[in-house]
Amino acid sequence: MDFLQNLLPHLLNGLALGLLFALIALGFTLIVSVMEVINLAHGSLFALGVYLAMVIINPTFGDLGAFGAWYASLPLGARYVIALVFAPLLIAVLGFGLEILLRRTYGKKKEYGLLLTFGAALVLEETIRIVWGSGEKVMPTPQTISGAFIAGDMIYSTYRVYAMAFGAIAIAMVWLFLDKTPYGAIIKAGAHDSEMVRALGINLPRLQMLVFGLGAALAAIAGIILTPIWGLRPHVGVDATIPAFLIIVLGGIGSFWGAVLGGIGVGLAVGLTGAYASDWSLLSMYLLLVAVLSVRGRGLFGKKTALEA
Amino acid sequence: MLTSSGRAPVVTQPMLVFFAIMFSFPFWADAAGLYHYLGVEIAVFIIYALGYNLLLGYTGLPSFGHGAFLGIGAYSYGLWQFSGYPGVFTGLAVAIVCAAAAAGAAALFLSHRRGIYFALMTIAFGQIFWFLAIKLRWITGGEDGLLNVLRPTLDFGALDISLRSNLTLFYLVAVLLTVLILVLWRLVHSPFGTALQAIRMNEMRARFAGYRVWLIKWTVFTLSGAIAGLAGALLCITQESAYPDVMSLHASGFVVMMTLIGGGFVSFWGPVVGAIVFILARDVLGAATETWLLWYGLLFMAVMLVEPEGVVGAWRKLIAKLRRSSVQPGPAQEPKPAAEGGAA
Repeated sequence: MDFLQNLLPHLLNGLALGLLFALIALGFTLIVSVMEVINLAHGSLFALGVYLAMVIINPTFGDLGAFGAWYASLPLGARYVIALVFAPLLIAVLGFGLEILLRRTYGKKKEYGLLLTFGAALVLEETIRIVWGSGEKVMPTPQTISGAFIAGDMIYSTYRVYAMAFGAIAIAMVWLFLDKTPYGAIIKAGAHDSEMVRALGINLPRLQMLVFGLGAALAAIAGIILTPIWGLRPHVGVDATIPAFLIIVLGGIGSFWGAVLGGIGVGLAVGLTGAYASDWSLLSMYLLLVAVLSVRGRGLFGKKTALEA
Repeated sequence: MLTSSGRAPVVTQPMLVFFAIMFSFPFWADAAGLYHYLGVEIAVFIIYALGYNLLLGYTGLPSFGHGAFLGIGAYSYGLWQFSGYPGVFTGLAVAIVCAAAAAGAAALFLSHRRGIYFALMTIAFGQIFWFLAIKLRWITGGEDGLLNVLRPTLDFGALDISLRSNLTLFYLVAVLLTVLILVLWRLVHSPFGTALQAIRMNEMRARFAGYRVWLIKWTVFTLSGAIAGLAGALLCITQESAYPDVMSLHASGFVVMMTLIGGGFVSFWGPVVGAIVFILARDVLGAATETWLLWYGLLFMAVMLVEPEGVVGAWRKLIAKLRRSSVQPGPAQEPKPAAEGGAA
């Protein structure tokens, strides 16, 4: 019993982490399936989203006059919600721009698109460094979701429960969107056979732009939720996308449930090993990956696709 | 085009030009505003990029974790020297063997993979090695790495050559690079090289043609890792240290950039040109601005958007244009070379 009680917080930590990893991975997998581009800038979009959210919560630039005064008087919670909506939207717009640049590489070698996003990642990360400096930053969170609560004889962080719930709800909403709406059907069809989708009279370039924007926005949302747990520094994007890459491979490229299960698996592995050997906890996810891939070459739910050609 | 047929000469004209430029470098470096140390660095990165292009340009396998093998080479050399064994060449050999062993182990998992799975798996393996380099503190010195790997002395019996000076070190690297270029040129024009290109153009057809694709991919990955190990050991001698930074995802991306900026997809010489441009640009931009990575990223994005075939590709298009305009306009023109073979 004692053993379980010690373990439980780590399990919950892992679950919270995993659900958010899954959210990053979902955005990434959407982009890979529809555009066949490995978006190496995903992590930078994630990081930039958090920095933008930080600015929206506590505007530090210039004098905004009466509006600024009114805005500053809003409670932190309200500003937090505004940031949670607008920062991902801004990142989505940035994603549109990146996708428009990427169009020039479609139909050429796959590596060109991937390398373009690598260049974009360098630019975004360096921009963050120029604007916000290299030091650690803290993103303010509202009172209601910080602190700790006591359940039984266990003390637990409120924020992690909030993060877990948020991650689960966000994943459910992405699933509803993809599975139950006509837009989702079009996206899935586009991932399956983009030529056919175009032949059916659907505006493929616009679809691709929207999917890229959606993927980028998901990264930003996950970033905003994950930051109070992980801290914020310019290269946080790389730290966060590496697990996302692993999760994609682990779950199988293009698979929704693969990304979710892979995310939870990686989160649990990191959380549980964190309990016993915190220094080595990140290694556990690599070992998990190697173990799964030795048995299942295309990951848990991967199917043979055109992406391997 | 990275295609070859028939017999290739052992030594070619571009090779002679390159060797002439390289071996005379110390004599005109100062006049050109360069310095010997920069020459050493460029030569080391040319070795690295040439080995990398076996994978990317010839076999069409984009590895995003190649920095790992550079790092392993550097650490192995440093540790070998620390453990008190003399001999530069044995140290280099140890570095090559260690990097090849690590690459070979990774390739066991990688060589069945293709396309996006291959790329993502190389990222994962690169991260594993990078992570180990940081965490195995008692071996690697953690984030700081191995410091004070003093430059050794080459011992040829009667003749001792200290590598303390950048000039002698440059000539050591230049000789190794010369050998490597001759060997690699031979290799890519051998049946093995043809098999690599067959895999790039269409892996399935290569398999149907009877090639053991798995084994060839394993071999080329291991070989490429071994060359990266050599470059790593030389880097360790040059910088007198080995540190985990060169193994990070960013640093691994840099070798891809290098290879592509030069035109690794279209020419044997692509990585050579690319490494020169990359290091020179870093030096110039780094001297001019603190935020050189930003300009670097923009430069790289521009290359990908405007001329993804890199410097050599642009050069060839220019030559083709000049030729066409010098020929009398008429219907009978030389056929345009077909676009890159295996667009996949």
